[in-house]
Amino acid sequence: MLDNILGGFASIFAVGPILGIIAGVMIGIIFGAIPGISAIMAIAIILPLTFYVDPIIGITMLLAVYKAGIYGGSISAILINTPGAAASFLTAVDGHALTKAGKAGKALDISLYSSISGEMLATLVLIFVAAPISAISLQAGPVEKVFLLLFAFTVIGSLAGESIPRGLLSCCLGMLFAMVGMSTITGASRFTFGYTELMAGFTFTPMLIGILVMPEVINTIRRRKVPHHEMAITRSPNPADNRISWKEFRSVFGTVLKSSGIGTFIGALPGLGSSTAAFIAYGEAKRTTKKPEEYGKGSVEGIAAAESANNAVCGSSLIPMLTLSIPGDDVAALLMGAFLIHGLTPGPMIFFEHPDTIYAIFAGFLITDLFLLGIAKAGFKSFVKIASLRRYYIFPCVTVFAFAGAFTAGQNMDDILVLIVFTVLGYSMRLVGLNPAVFIIGFILTPFLEQNLDQAISIVGTDYHLFFASPFSWVFIALSIFFVYSSIRMRKKAANNAADGITKNPSATTSGEAVQIPK
Amino acid sequence: MNKPTKSLLTFIGALAVSFSAGSALAAYPEKPINVIVPYGAGGDSDLTTRIWADAVEEELGVPVVVINKAGGGGVVGTSFVANSKKDGYTLINAGLGNMLVTPNFSKTPYDFDSFEPVVKMTAVPLAVVVSKDSPYKNFDQFVLAAKEKRITQGSWGASSSGTILANIIADQMGYQPKYVHSNTTAASMVSVVGGHIDSAVSFPPAFGPHVKSGRAVALVMNQKMDQFPGVPTFESYGIKGSFEGWSGIFAPKGVPQEVVEKLTAATIKIMKKQQVLKAYENIGAVVDFRHGSDWVADMKVTYEVMKDAAGKIKK
Repeated sequence: MLDNILGGFASIFAVGPILGIIAGVMIGIIFGAIPGISAIMAIAIILPLTFYVDPIIGITMLLAVYKAGIYGGSISAILINTPGAAASFLTAVDGHALTKAGKAGKALDISLYSSISGEMLATLVLIFVAAPISAISLQAGPVEKVFLLLFAFTVIGSLAGESIPRGLLSCCLGMLFAMVGMSTITGASRFTFGYTELMAGFTFTPMLIGILVMPEVINTIRRRKVPHHEMAITRSPNPADNRISWKEFRSVFGTVLKSSGIGTFIGALPGLGSSTAAFIAYGEAKRTTKKPEEYGKGSVEGIAAAESANNAVCGSSLIPMLTLSIPGDDVAALLMGAFLIHGLTPGPMIFFEHPDTIYAIFAGFLITDLFLLGIAKAGFKSFVKIASLRRYYIFPCVTVFAFAGAFTAGQNMDDILVLIVFTVLGYSMRLVGLNPAVFIIGFILTPFLEQNLDQAISIVGTDYHLFFASPFSWVFIALSIFFVYSSIRMRKKAANNAADGITKNPSATTSGEAVQIPK
Repeated sequence: MNKPTKSLLTFIGALAVSFSAGSALAAYPEKPINVIVPYGAGGDSDLTTRIWADAVEEELGVPVVVINKAGGGGVVGTSFVANSKKDGYTLINAGLGNMLVTPNFSKTPYDFDSFEPVVKMTAVPLAVVVSKDSPYKNFDQFVLAAKEKRITQGSWGASSSGTILANIIADQMGYQPKYVHSNTTAASMVSVVGGHIDSAVSFPPAFGPHVKSGRAVALVMNQKMDQFPGVPTFESYGIKGSFEGWSGIFAPKGVPQEVVEKLTAATIKIMKKQQVLKAYENIGAVVDFRHGSDWVADMKVTYEVMKDAAGKIKK
């Protein structure tokens, strides 16, 4: 395995991949920092641009956008109290308090350092743990995979937001749309209503952009009267307030390590997500700290805990996706689609079929952290400037990118139609409170479930007890039950913590999906 | 519709007619030719077509552009070409699946007669493959066991060429396998090697690596191949029929005869080139260059066999 890893580093240190990483990091920071554009939207917009390059360049670039985008969300959280995603909510609580005290530089620094520490640790775990796990999971045949996929669907529990029934409904909608087209199993046309164009089903990229990106653009048009918030780094006359000293970082290093560990662990379990990780790590840090009274009022340690935990999820959420083809959260679901488009099927076989590619991607994923550190540090001010461009400059560009991206995917005008139809659908889903991320999960997982279920039924025939003959089946059944139970419990806990946070910081606004412009 | 628009449309219509009349008079080909591959980039059909396109481009003197229009098991791309202009500038990568099998077993807006066959470039023999740990050491043992109990066989869809051919074989030998469908033959080979299914039908590009490394054994195949010595043929078991996947180029029905002639002449030339033959060998395909009426008649026979098989299933 070590030679694979070294080989990966060898192929990543080339002009193409490095340029891809640099571009990805810059795009990620900017998009992440723009209020109203989340990391997942950034990836959806960039995805079509990667079609024409090697998967090593394309996928590492997308992963760089992912990491930098999650980090970028903390910039707007700290400076204008607008978390890029629910996960940066706690960063907004303590970070904005520091900004108001004139210590924005300090808050930005600690958020950057702890984000990167969290990401690096999780990425190392990913690199060393993924291949052994996949070797075990290869033993699973179609029968076991049915239960594995049922387990994967439990991810909905944590993504569904406030309402589980609506989450389930969104998932069912996704499954329904996934079935459109010619069945690969029976050859029958399903829901095509006689249109040959529909026999191929819906193209993934335009559908994705329609569901995830365009509704946000419409949302922005609707909220055009909301005043614009300029972001700026306030500078304190006292230089110690503008940066984090080595001594300060060392004093919170224990918290960073512990929170990264929590984040890595939670990320590796499908379906808990980065906000859960941030809330648990924050709670744990507060419980064990010597200065609990600072939390919520501008605690450096609090930012460190929340940021290292939510960024650690980035790396480890790829573990279930790559080894079991279970997307751990919405971003992982999207990345899974990206892997599929690049001809790499996530799952245990990937380590045998494409070891060179996958280890090069891992190596790229690791050095992205270094680039993120360098680039973010060097260009804080300019990124903040770009990100606070007025909305009527940013969103028209996003729209153009969305349409161009939908078209480039297949060079097919029908795809533009797909984009428009799913824009309408995505926006309507938001209006009635359905969850677009869960819709995507249902859409991606359904073909796998259907195929494996069909194979499993063919294999067991009428001996249905064979479904439960393998210990793997029982393991996944048990895990599913445990996850349904624990995600219900986590929701309660997170809700309590959030209620705590809101009483301290009533002005922070956040929505699970993407950030809203503060009212 | 108001008057100016109407007259404008008439004008455009007249212009279009005069242009198409002009192109019919000029020598074919005078502009880039598009070849539609109805499957994804990088697959066997795609690679086979690209090698052909690259080579005939030099002979014809115009760009030959390969476009992938994947989806619906090849139906989307194939029906696109069936409905396109019959001027010889839109061609289709034809194969067993989209030409002979799918029109019989699925609802398609085209059939074999919607096209004018031009050339066949390659063929791959079908084989029945088992894992190295399988209790069935030869095809006789396999058939015997399959008659007694349920044996699972990997294929790629109930109305796919794999299942149809496997059914014709099973019918003649008197057994009935239980099919387990994967998306690709490569995926069902993984299931065979992993011990999840008893056997699979597959083509050399998919089973080759597994058989060569000793993880899988080919019990029987359509024709002898040097790469797989000692594998008996279907014929030696008295099984009648042609069990091969193939790749060729078709044009929509009604193209000028000149188009077929020029494309065939160009293909005859390239099939003598060493680099073209080498390129086909590299992708694991067997060159089986055919054209003309004998070949079309052979395909018609296979088409009728498929039609009968489809009729049996529907009953």
